[in-house]
Amino acid sequence: MTRLRQFLNNGDVSRFRLFFQIAAFGFLIYGGLLAIDLGNTVPAFSCVFADSRAGACYLFPLQHQVNMPWKQFLGGRGIGLYVGIGAFVLFFILFNKAWCGFACPLGALQDWITKLRMKIGMRYSLYAESTFRKLKSIKYLLLALLILLPLGIANSLFGLPKLPHDLATSYCMICPGRTILPLFTGDVSHLAVDFSSKTMTVLTGLGMAVTGLFLVGAFVKKRFFCLFCPMSALQYVFSKAALLRLTKNGAKCTRCGNCYRVCDVGITEIADDVTSKNIVKDDCMMCFKCVAACPEGKCLSVTFLGLPLYDSTQEGFAKRMEGRDVRG
Amino acid sequence: MSVDNERWERMKKTAQVHLAMEARETLTRMEDSFSNGPGAMQYFYDLHRASYCDGTPLRTAGKTIGTLCVQVPEELIYAAGAVPLRLCSGAYAFDQIGADFLPAKSCPLIKATLGMLHIGPPAFAGSLSLIVNPSTCDQKKKAGEMLEDFGYPVYHLEMPPAKASEEARVYWRQSIKKFSRVLEKTTGQRITEKRLADAIARVRSAQTAYRRLRDFMKSATPPIRGTDVMVVTNAYFFDDIGKWTGAVNALCNELESRTGTGASATLRHAPRILFTGSPPVFPNLKLPLLIEESGGIIVADEVCSASRLLNDMVAFDEPHLYDMIPAVADRYLKPCTCPVFTSSEDRKRKLVEQAQSFDADGVVYQSFAGCMPYELEQRLVGKHLAEAEIPMLSIETDYSPDDAGQLATRVEAFMESLKGRARRKANDEVRMMK
Amino acid sequence: MKYFAGIDIGSTAIKIVLVDENERIEAHQVSATGSHFHRNTVEALGRLIEQTGFSRGDIAYITSTGYGRKLFKEADESVSEITANGAGAGAGRVSGEVRTIINIGGQDSKVILLDRDGHIKNFVMNDKCAAGTGRFLEMTARNLGMEVEDLGALHHKAQAPLTINSTCTVFAESEIISQLAHGHNREEIIAGVHYSIARRIVRLAKRVGIEDTVFFDGGPALNAGMVSALEDELMRKVVVPELPQLTTARGAALLARSAWIGTGEQVNV
Repeated sequence: MTRLRQFLNNGDVSRFRLFFQIAAFGFLIYGGLLAIDLGNTVPAFSCVFADSRAGACYLFPLQHQVNMPWKQFLGGRGIGLYVGIGAFVLFFILFNKAWCGFACPLGALQDWITKLRMKIGMRYSLYAESTFRKLKSIKYLLLALLILLPLGIANSLFGLPKLPHDLATSYCMICPGRTILPLFTGDVSHLAVDFSSKTMTVLTGLGMAVTGLFLVGAFVKKRFFCLFCPMSALQYVFSKAALLRLTKNGAKCTRCGNCYRVCDVGITEIADDVTSKNIVKDDCMMCFKCVAACPEGKCLSVTFLGLPLYDSTQEGFAKRMEGRDVRG
Repeated sequence: MSVDNERWERMKKTAQVHLAMEARETLTRMEDSFSNGPGAMQYFYDLHRASYCDGTPLRTAGKTIGTLCVQVPEELIYAAGAVPLRLCSGAYAFDQIGADFLPAKSCPLIKATLGMLHIGPPAFAGSLSLIVNPSTCDQKKKAGEMLEDFGYPVYHLEMPPAKASEEARVYWRQSIKKFSRVLEKTTGQRITEKRLADAIARVRSAQTAYRRLRDFMKSATPPIRGTDVMVVTNAYFFDDIGKWTGAVNALCNELESRTGTGASATLRHAPRILFTGSPPVFPNLKLPLLIEESGGIIVADEVCSASRLLNDMVAFDEPHLYDMIPAVADRYLKPCTCPVFTSSEDRKRKLVEQAQSFDADGVVYQSFAGCMPYELEQRLVGKHLAEAEIPMLSIETDYSPDDAGQLATRVEAFMESLKGRARRKANDEVRMMK
Repeated sequence: MKYFAGIDIGSTAIKIVLVDENERIEAHQVSATGSHFHRNTVEALGRLIEQTGFSRGDIAYITSTGYGRKLFKEADESVSEITANGAGAGAGRVSGEVRTIINIGGQDSKVILLDRDGHIKNFVMNDKCAAGTGRFLEMTARNLGMEVEDLGALHHKAQAPLTINSTCTVFAESEIISQLAHGHNREEIIAGVHYSIARRIVRLAKRVGIEDTVFFDGGPALNAGMVSALEDELMRKVVVPELPQLTTARGAALLARSAWIGTGEQVNV
């Protein structure tokens, strides 16, 4: 093993990620001030409502783009939708779900809230496995709704009348990104209920509730929101094609469960699945804490285009555990 | 009554003499047969000599907590300010004492352990503040109850019979949490985050040193014998962990300096063996010694007196007790390949993986007569190994030295067939290249 | 022409076989092991060499096997009886044919399983208990006032074999004596003993599996009654070689030849 690879494998990916997330947060929320524009297909919650953003979260334009009559799907506006999907996929497959773990501002926020909880020594909560399995489908429901509702505004779906226009970006109305992220640019206007119509009252009221739930939830459970995130669901559809991969060599796995133990989201398959090679599940945010916690050599690996970037090694594991700072 | 007392004292003395004889025999066999072995092994031979032959007490500051079975979390014991002492005995001398009050068909390890504790804790250990008995196999469970009958303070550490289900894992975490309270009460010292982190670090150093030693056996010319590695891990049962870690690292340093000099523990083309099954505990290294004396070399093992003791490392996420204690608990349950669980899948996978990483030519599966879990798993494991085309020899034995001749025949026949297999494979490769 | 010796030092008998370079058996001998087996082996070998008219130098390689193999230092090599028996049963040369070898020795019995190419796949031994070994037959013959060699002839004269219930040879002896006292005839007892042994062997064999063709060797294979009882219990015919008590020694001699030739390809274990 070359010295470089040894150096990388001994690295503390969590420390690296901490700094990366701070940088990414700054970049995505304030990048617009430097006239940086990544476009409208960012695979993370770079919220449109934060004025100085460096690019927009794809869910907002997606909802607008599918809001068209059926026949326009074959016309100019349709092309706009397809180009958008294409651009989103291209952005996405570069880093797979590491967008969630390393770049997403809402993700970073939740991690900082978790650090606060750890500082005060409060314990975290876990879901029972049966609860976890039930809750994780919610993100697919939200993804389905955020596509179907705008479709239902432009067309009559299932024999129902066309839906009111206020539902055009219904997901954004309930998303905690909209209420919280603009606060970082000094914009408190979204942290309110919009009484302009009945629909908006319900939606923004729900949004306030979700915001509260988000903050409390993130405090009590690591990466609380990510289990319900429709962006995560959308990304997972394309995850198998990604260039950045997290793979597992099941033969080497002793099922010690260290990986599952440190996983913020609580994915049991990393430990228990010893047959799959690609171990990225729909909830995974590719933070690579699992790789860092695995004491068996080359059991879990991060690769980019097949080249190994970060492997689990015994030496790296021991170094990282030594470096833990534990107070009395 | 003084006659009884005298009898008792005589029994203890005789048992001690027998134990010393057995230990001496095993040590002599090992020391004499590896004449230019690494000098650093002397530490381990001498340690065993001092403890088993001379009964020299170990200097332990603080309380000693006896453990039966490998599932007892040592890190918690250290964090509570005590020292763990694995009590499982490999002495035929004690087996014969245990045979007086245990069923004839019961496992020799149980007979020996109970026999030893019947006449008092091991001479070198001093007194035991507590004995922790995880509910693993049937015989261990009842052994725990019998020890209470002998007057020892015993804590029954409840362990689930399955390890993959959520219920089992939650049950075990609760059981360990309760155990940590019991430990604190026994030693009078609280388990704090710092103490637990230190304990985890100490055990991790020992584990790292062990893995370093073990990895030498991957070489085509192993610099040390498998039986030596077993003596080293057996020392872990009772030696001071800091001293042990230092001694293992010194051994590894010496072995490193010997690589490339051609010094090998064995002849070339010696059949490489993966040893698994009921644990060979010193001085009962009968079968491993036989294998190596018949020309084989044990390159890897899957037993709870060696690799399972030291293989898996604890990882915790948040540096607080609410995460660290369950992390310790998980390490002792999830990767555990003891046959008392409902599934042997992890054990089967590990055996195949070890056979491949250490390039083993065959597996020797030892089961003690009367050990149901190992004997029952033999078929399941054997089938899995056969599918992976790894030859396996099953040996049922106990602690008595009577069957050495018969075992020799079987072991030699196995060695011969492995050599033949290797030769044919080499011939096939040569033929294919032509 | 060079010759190769295989010496099977058993607990009851020493068997020596000499083969030539073409694997033909040149000479053989069976003698009692006695208490001084080392001395007796040396003497037995000496007698055999004298008998053939060769000199010691004509014997190019000696392989020993059996219980006393390690202590016979004059051998060039020693192998386990299992390997030798496998070689002697024609392993590797009659490939595809012999798959299971049943050996009943003086005080042990074994079942060896061969794979398609005649190499030893698995084996199981009974060496803890005399029941199911030649010892049982010796004890029976002694109690009936006969020689072991004559037992086979009486087997088929039995109307129906008597069941011997005892699992232990020592207790079976008492059982036999009591049956004689009750007036049962020798033929029935002999047949019963044969079936008892056969049943035990089959139980042992099932631990490794029984596959056609079954090869039966060891001294008791000379006993036609034993062969018959075994065939009944196995529910198939068995192949018995011409000199079954010499199969292991012959195997050792063949291995000696291979070792001397040193091609490696001929070593069929």
